[in-house]
Amino acid sequence: MIDPTDEPLSVSLDMDLTWRYAAGDAMTRFLEDVGRGRLEASRCDVCGRRYLPPRPFCGMCRVRIDGWVAVEDTGVLEAWTVVHLPIRDGRTGEMRPSPYGMGLIHLDGADTSLNHYLDTAEPERLTIGARVRAVWRRDRRGAMDDILHFEVLS
Amino acid sequence: MRPVAVIGTGQTKHAKARLDVSQPELVREAASAALEDAGIRPQDVDAVVISNMELFEGRAFPELWVGEGAFAAGKPCLKVATGGTSGTSACIAGFHQAASGAFDIVLVVGFEKHSEGHTQTGMALTDPFWDRAVASGAVGNFALSISQYMSARGVTEQHAAMVAVKARRNAANNPHAHLQMPDLTVEQVLESRMLAHPVRLLDMCPQSDGAAAIVVASGNAARRHCRQPAWVHAAVTRHDQPYLGDLDRRLVTMRALRDAARAAYSEAAITRPLADIDVAEIYEPVTYAELAWYEALGFCEDGNAGRLIEEGVTGMDGELPVNPSGGVLSTNPVGASGVIRVAEISAQLMGRAGSRQVPGVRTALATGYGVYAWSDVIVMRTEKP
Amino acid sequence: MIVQGSIRLSFTYAAGRIGSRFLVGLRDSRVILGAHCSRCALVVCPARAFCPVCSTGMDDLREVGPGGTVEVWSTVPGRGTYGMIRLDGADTALVHRLLGDAGLWEPGARVVARFAAKRIGSITDIEGFERGEP
Repeated sequence: MIDPTDEPLSVSLDMDLTWRYAAGDAMTRFLEDVGRGRLEASRCDVCGRRYLPPRPFCGMCRVRIDGWVAVEDTGVLEAWTVVHLPIRDGRTGEMRPSPYGMGLIHLDGADTSLNHYLDTAEPERLTIGARVRAVWRRDRRGAMDDILHFEVLS
Repeated sequence: MRPVAVIGTGQTKHAKARLDVSQPELVREAASAALEDAGIRPQDVDAVVISNMELFEGRAFPELWVGEGAFAAGKPCLKVATGGTSGTSACIAGFHQAASGAFDIVLVVGFEKHSEGHTQTGMALTDPFWDRAVASGAVGNFALSISQYMSARGVTEQHAAMVAVKARRNAANNPHAHLQMPDLTVEQVLESRMLAHPVRLLDMCPQSDGAAAIVVASGNAARRHCRQPAWVHAAVTRHDQPYLGDLDRRLVTMRALRDAARAAYSEAAITRPLADIDVAEIYEPVTYAELAWYEALGFCEDGNAGRLIEEGVTGMDGELPVNPSGGVLSTNPVGASGVIRVAEISAQLMGRAGSRQVPGVRTALATGYGVYAWSDVIVMRTEKP
Repeated sequence: MIVQGSIRLSFTYAAGRIGSRFLVGLRDSRVILGAHCSRCALVVCPARAFCPVCSTGMDDLREVGPGGTVEVWSTVPGRGTYGMIRLDGADTALVHRLLGDAGLWEPGARVVARFAAKRIGSITDIEGFERGEP
C-alpha cells in the first residue's frame, strides 16, 4: 500500500462558453420594435393581460397569444433598489459597474412590470409610485439595453 | 398511495469551503450518515434522488460524478435542479417514488460546493433576450421585492435584523451550521455592509459547501427499520410565471407559496397553522423573506409579521419555533438546503435534534423556495397518516 | 433573430482525499495509483474514493502500470488519438492520449506511460501512452 503525504490538491479550469439563442417570433418582433424606439406588449385574448416581456403563450390561460398592443415608454415605479454588490453580467461575464439603480416599472398600457435600470443621479427621488420615463440609447441595435435606464419625471 | 416516512437523516459539516473533500466525498459524508441514522446498509437502498444546481459548479450531469458517493451505481437514480426548491422537490420526488410502490427505500441526497464555482453568475444565466441584460442576481432581485413588501406591510429594517439575530443564535445550537455567531446583535446587523438597499450583508444567507441526505421508506419498511418514523402528511409543489415583473408584488402576494400552503394544510387538516404546527423549517434566503413567509404560511394575519418576530413567537421558546437549525440564513448549500429543511423537521419528529430539539414536536412544517417564486410545502407528523 | 453570448468562467475543484493522492503520485513520483476495493477486490484507475461496483469507500491505493494494454482507440481529426488503456494491475481502463501516428493502433497493443517533464498535479502530468513495454 502506497501512502503519499496528504496534500489537498485542486484542479483549476477556465471555460469559454458561447451560446446562440433563437428569439422566436414574439421576442423578435418586440426587439426589432425596441430598435426603432417603440414598445409593444403581447395581449392574451382570453384574460386580456398585456404581457411584457412579450411571449407566444399565456401562462395562466394556457393558450397561444398573437395580439399586440402599443405600450408607452413612461410608467410608474413599483419597486426600487440601489445595488452595491458587484455581479457579473450574464451576457459577457464582465463585472457590471456598481452601484446602480434597479426598478420594477409598470409601463402605461401594460399589465406586468418591467425590471430595468434606474438613473441614480438623485437617489432621494426614487420612491414607490414615482412617474418614470425610459432614456433611450442613440445607437439602438434591437436589445433590452437600447433603453439605458429609466429616470424619475419631475 | 402508500404512507411514507423519513427514517434517517445525515448532514455534513457545512462551511465556506470544504477543500478537504471532492464533491463525491462530500456527498458520501451525508449519505453515509443518513444510512447509519436509519440503521440500514447501502444494499437496502432501492433508488437514489440527487439534488444539485449543476450550472453553479459548471459541470454536466453531476449525478454521474457523485453517484457512487450516493450509493447510486447500478440503481435507479434521477436528479432535481429547480434552484432553491431543488432539495425539497427532490424529497417530494422520493416521497412519490416510495408512495407509488415503485420502491420501498429511497435515498435523497442534496449538495452544493459554491466555493468551486460561480453561483451569482450561474443565476444570471437566465432568459438571454430580456433578463440577462437587466437582471440583478439574487440580492438585487430580492431587494426590489422587499421595497414593495416593506411599503405594503410596514415591516422595518429592525424587524429584519431581529430575524437575522434569531437565525444566527439558533445556529449556535447546530453543530452542522456554517455561520456560528452566537453573540450577534440587532445593531451589528444594521451596521453591516449594504448590498442592495435595504438588504445588508447580515440579512442575506451565506454561500456554503455542504450536503444533506434523508432516507425515505414506505409504510412497512419504515415500521421495520424505525421506532419513530417522521410520517409525510402533505407534500405540495407550485411554480409560477417566468419573469420577475409577471408576479404582482411578489413578497406581498406570494401566490405560489400561499397556494401550496393552502393545499398542504387542507391535506393535513391544519386549520390554525400557528397552533397546529409545533416546529417549522422554512426556506428564508433573506431575513425579509422569513417575515413574508410568516404571512403567506398563515402564521399571522397580513401585516403582523413584524409583531411575530418582536414578540418572540417564532423563537426557540415561542409558540412556533421557526428554523431551530439556524435556517438558510446560517447555512446555504443550495442543492442541499431544501433537504436540510426536511432532514431537520424529521430529526425534530424523531427526537434526534440534539441541543436544537424543540420539546414535544408532533406536527412539523418544511418549505422550499426557489427562483422567483417556486414553492414547496411539506407537513410531517409523528403519527402515521 | 439570433442572440449570441460568450462568457469565460474559471472553476477550481477540490480533488479530495483520494484524488489528491493520485495527483501527488503523478507529480512527485511519476507513479500511477489505482484504488483497491476491500470488498470486491477491484483495482480502479484512476484512483477514486468509491468502488464503482459496490460503492464501498476505498483508501488502499496501489501502484499500477506504467505499462498497459490498449482496449479500444479512436482518432479525432485535428485532436489526436485517444484510447482506453488497461494499466497492468488495474481492472478498469483509463482514457488517455495515444502518442504516435494515427491509424497504427489495434486492440491489444502494448503501451507505456510517458510523463511530462514539468508536472503540476494534473492528469496531463501523463503526456500520453506510447507503444512499448515498461
